[in-house]
Amino acid sequence: MRFIDLLRLIFGNLSRRKARVALTAIGVVIGTAAVVILVSLAIGLQKNANEQLYGIGDLTQIQVSPTYGEGPVTVAGGGAGAGAPAQTKLLTNSALDELRAIPGVEWVVPREFLMSGGYVKFQKLEGWANIIGVAVDDLADLGLETSQGSTALGRGIIVVGPMVANNFYDPRLRPGQEPPPPPDLYDQQIQFIISKWDSQGNETRKTMSLRVTGILTETRGESDWTVYVPLDQVKAWNEWTMNRRINYNKEGYSMAVVKVRDVDRVIEITDQIADMGFQAYTPQAFVQGINNFYVILQVIFGGVGAIALLVAAIGIANTMAMSILERTREIGLMKAVGATNRDVLAIFLGEASGIGFIGGLGGVLVGWLAGQAINVAAIVYLANQAGQAGGAPPSVAVYTPLWLPVFALLFSTLIGMISGLYPALRAATMIPVMALKYE
Amino acid sequence: MTHPFVHITSLKKYYQMGGTTVRALDGVDLEIMPNTFTVVMGPSGSGKSTLLYLLGGLDRATSGDIRVNGQSLTDMDENSLALFRRRTIGFVFQSFNLIPSMTALQNVAFPMQFAGMSPAKRSEQAGRLLELVGLGDRTSHRPTELSGGQQQRVAIARALVNDPQLILADEPTGNLDTASGAAIMQLLSDLHCSGRTVLVVTHDARMMRFATHQIYLLDGHVVSEEDYQSAALEVMRPS
Repeated sequence: MRFIDLLRLIFGNLSRRKARVALTAIGVVIGTAAVVILVSLAIGLQKNANEQLYGIGDLTQIQVSPTYGEGPVTVAGGGAGAGAPAQTKLLTNSALDELRAIPGVEWVVPREFLMSGGYVKFQKLEGWANIIGVAVDDLADLGLETSQGSTALGRGIIVVGPMVANNFYDPRLRPGQEPPPPPDLYDQQIQFIISKWDSQGNETRKTMSLRVTGILTETRGESDWTVYVPLDQVKAWNEWTMNRRINYNKEGYSMAVVKVRDVDRVIEITDQIADMGFQAYTPQAFVQGINNFYVILQVIFGGVGAIALLVAAIGIANTMAMSILERTREIGLMKAVGATNRDVLAIFLGEASGIGFIGGLGGVLVGWLAGQAINVAAIVYLANQAGQAGGAPPSVAVYTPLWLPVFALLFSTLIGMISGLYPALRAATMIPVMALKYE
Repeated sequence: MTHPFVHITSLKKYYQMGGTTVRALDGVDLEIMPNTFTVVMGPSGSGKSTLLYLLGGLDRATSGDIRVNGQSLTDMDENSLALFRRRTIGFVFQSFNLIPSMTALQNVAFPMQFAGMSPAKRSEQAGRLLELVGLGDRTSHRPTELSGGQQQRVAIARALVNDPQLILADEPTGNLDTASGAAIMQLLSDLHCSGRTVLVVTHDARMMRFATHQIYLLDGHVVSEEDYQSAALEVMRPS
């Protein structure tokens, strides 16, 4: 039998029983629509979560810390065996060169924190600042940009994150008084005060005047709250605090940031660095965990939809069994005029698949439309919520990737075929004379 | 000398029916020569329809052998039997067995799609055969729009589409009025005259006029005409 004749015959047979086919297909429509909507919802949630997560830091950066002495190494993203005694591994300049030698690494920049407590004063306001020294002349090398001023670093000047101004408060403010608005720090002189104590507990203070020459654009990451200074500056302040010279070739830096060229290799390179004996952390590991959660959510949501499809499958099996009972004589006739068992099987399997396909087509359409409707409603609602809370509104609530409707359509057709398997086999193996005499 | 077209040896067909064994055919030996018109007579339950269906490959014998044109049906698998039915046999049924949703032309063309013929060739052939059975003006009518006699003629046209050598008819006039029945008999006789082998199972004694051979069946056995007649009298005699 030719394939085109088979298709024409199947279509003809289905259109003979429009009402019944439609009713059976509605079950498939509901099931497929449920799969499409629920999986789209899970994917939409994941996209949203990822958009928010990109704020927790540049996902192509790895933070590397030295390992001091013995103790279990805890490494994000697996790697070195937990509980194994670790060797001391310092971030010396030669160690940084080792990191730079790893294939796929774009750059390695050491950074240093202020050891003593330090606070900042601006006019009559005071505040704490997260001061980080980085070994670059220009923050643009770290991928940072400014909304005001320049990213260049130098002696006596600082570049601050956009949220740093929010750290200032008025120490003379009485309860009930309205707090002052965050000051505009750009191109202003601020006082920076660090302290140290001798063995007798006497405090020595050092005050420096620094000019803000750049305000960074918002990244929703660490840089928003950071005051950037050159690494040498922090080194000098730390030497003053400790009353001795610091030799980074011997003691190593307290941290290094490793930038990876390809986001897909971050986890792999993190593991590699951990295997070298350092402590390596990347937000990617966290993101991956979150993503695994959403994949599980997709499977669960898909499963719920699949239950609806299962019910529809039983409906198809029932319709086909009924149809075969009614058409027993027709089956007998087909065999009498020379249809093989395979021909009969193909016809009835095709009809069952056809119901699945029609239902799948409707389901994909309904699911997609419902997804769009949810999107419109949800984005309006969430944008209002986000507006009140001050965060960024989500771009999308339900997201249907192209593979999903294609998969849903194939799956519903397959479900139809599987449901029709038993009735079709029964039809194909009927003894012709019995079928012809069936009343 | 010509060889028999159909050769049946010690053919048996038993059914299980509610615990008892029904011996529909109980050792039948037959030879049917090519280009003959054979009428099988017998009362209800004599096994004549069973014989026809076994001969057409629609059922399998309990034992014995059927050879058609030298091929043994017992040796064939399901697929070969289907091909045998498609190429060698044309069936005509008492209840026509037309597909109600299809037109006369589509009904006649229906078997040809299993043979993989092209749509153009199918409708050309079907139209020609409908012309032959005298329904050239009824091609687009559905079975419900045709009389019983016309429906049976559509069924005969359908039986001829794959140009079979053997026409098997099961009570072809059983559902028809006298005039239509006579026309169908004439049509079957024409098929015989055009070189085909025809075997008709019937109650209708008028069919004898067209027959070249008669077979009488009683209780699953082939009997002679004399025995058949006396048995018939036996049944009719009041006890």
